[in-house]
Amino acid sequence: MKENSNMTDTDAPRWIGNLSYQTRDKVRRFGLFLILAIMAAVIVFPLYWMIHTSLLPADRMYNVDAPLIPLNPTLSNYVELFTKTGFITYLVNSIIMGTGVIVTTTVMATLGGYGLTRIDIPYKTAFARGILLGYMFPPILLAIPMYIFWRQIGLLNSYPGAILAITATSLPFSLWLMWQFFQTVPESLEESAQMAGAERFRAFYEIALPLAKPGIIAVGTFSYAVAWNAYTIPKVVLPQQEFWVLTLGVENLVISNQILWPLVMAASAITILPALLFVYTLQKYLLRGFRTGGVK
Amino acid sequence: MSTEVETGTHRTEKTSLTKIKDAVYQFLSKEKVLGALTIGPAIILYIIVSLVPIGWAFAASFHEVGAFSPTWEFVGLDNYFAVIDDPKFIKSNFTGAVFAGGSVLVQVIFGVGFALVLNKEFKYNRIVRAIGLTPYLIPTVIVGFLALWMSNQQWGVINRLLLDAGMIEHGIAWFSRPDTVMPALVLTNSWKFSIFVTIMVLARLQGIPEGFYEAASMAGATPFQKFRDITLPNIKNILFIVVLLRGVWMFNKFDIIWSLTRGGPAGATTTVPVYAYNQAFQSYSLGRASAVSVLLFLLLVVAAILYFRVFKPSEEVRVE
Repeated sequence: MKENSNMTDTDAPRWIGNLSYQTRDKVRRFGLFLILAIMAAVIVFPLYWMIHTSLLPADRMYNVDAPLIPLNPTLSNYVELFTKTGFITYLVNSIIMGTGVIVTTTVMATLGGYGLTRIDIPYKTAFARGILLGYMFPPILLAIPMYIFWRQIGLLNSYPGAILAITATSLPFSLWLMWQFFQTVPESLEESAQMAGAERFRAFYEIALPLAKPGIIAVGTFSYAVAWNAYTIPKVVLPQQEFWVLTLGVENLVISNQILWPLVMAASAITILPALLFVYTLQKYLLRGFRTGGVK
Repeated sequence: MSTEVETGTHRTEKTSLTKIKDAVYQFLSKEKVLGALTIGPAIILYIIVSLVPIGWAFAASFHEVGAFSPTWEFVGLDNYFAVIDDPKFIKSNFTGAVFAGGSVLVQVIFGVGFALVLNKEFKYNRIVRAIGLTPYLIPTVIVGFLALWMSNQQWGVINRLLLDAGMIEHGIAWFSRPDTVMPALVLTNSWKFSIFVTIMVLARLQGIPEGFYEAASMAGATPFQKFRDITLPNIKNILFIVVLLRGVWMFNKFDIIWSLTRGGPAGATTTVPVYAYNQAFQSYSLGRASAVSVLLFLLLVVAAILYFRVFKPSEEVRVE
């Protein structure tokens, strides 16, 4: 391992100067390891505890002396969740609306990003600022007027209404990402294809689009995260229980069954499952997107 | 035109289908058509889902909007006066500032610290980053319910560990006491969002040439001096953006607060968005809720103007 910059070290006490270089390096590495271990524990322990609770028999949850490792683990909470609650409905609604948001956002952002990069239009600076302003809108700011507006045009309690509403929080940033991304796709490839006789559309479709794949995956991942996370907007535009998504469904379990935490934790565990599967495989795509200005 | 390319490699009969395809491709290739069809849908959708609702809020804020029927009655500035005169609204601004300020402070401390550690090269960097990124992908309300369970007064693991360690004598209901609710909320919130500070700062840190630090070491600089004179000036701008954007977003945060406390106990965590939500869906005063939304929007515009002073959109995307 290369010994590089020492930015995390604070001003070292004098006695450290008396130690040999190797010892100092070892101490430093051990310190780094310790900090990382603590950070990882702070993040991982709550997730462990979620799974742990979800495996407890309902009557064991009151046992204050229950050890940190679950005794008699059981899947009964998961069985109950799927057979005795509306969980499947919420799961299906989340998948339908999530897919809708991902498809809408990705298609619009990819086309728009290409156009904004390659086509001459006036007022591009204004467009850029408008997009970034839209990206700053918090869900609650959009949700209240949307409720009034959607009610008037009959979009409350409908899949298209909710998909459009959630897209408001995912589209501006995705559009921005694709605008940036198409700039990294060399225009010369498209130009030479056009020289060879391909029309502009074919150059876009067969050359630029495949090259933009990493950007498209990044946008898809980001809009998945937005849609799956969404709570404020679905809560406002989907008052009827039959349209509820997972976040609203789990909330309902908490309100009606606060005493049955193992059941609530089982529902939470299933809700976060795709996230746990995604984070390792799609990490680099996700990171690509977050450098502009962070995410809400 | 394209048929020349195709016939070069494999002979294709020019069927009526390919003729239509060619015609469509040629039509789609016109600069204006391609421009309209690529930028158009995104812009139209953006207008419908972002700008129209904001416009709607402006319009509704001057009206008494029927709670159960879409009737609008013009009332001028009454909604604004009613909101500004409401002591609860004034208080919600202070509560929101405490929540946002506390959240930003905690997130910057942990976020920058994590970034400084991750900037070092070590074996399991990728796994550690994945772990660090996990909380972001967990829905905020799930984070809230998990915190509620872990901090449960009788059976929560946090109270149990603290009791075992002898640090407290009785279980504490962290989210139901006026004195503990705000710190608990800020910490829960920061558990999820610190990673963004990390990602943004890390991207900047990785852009600092290694030679700067080597030169400083040669000159005998202490680690603290290196941090102060090299690291800090380089991350200054990004820190400003982080504090500004995160501050605005945390001020506007609704989901984590609503899922954990509903604005309680006794209004101790009623921030402006919670106040607006209550106006809309508890008091059914949609006009007043719209007035609050407009005020929040104006705050956002001020923040955006500051943001564009430091972060130049034209340096990130080509606008010519």
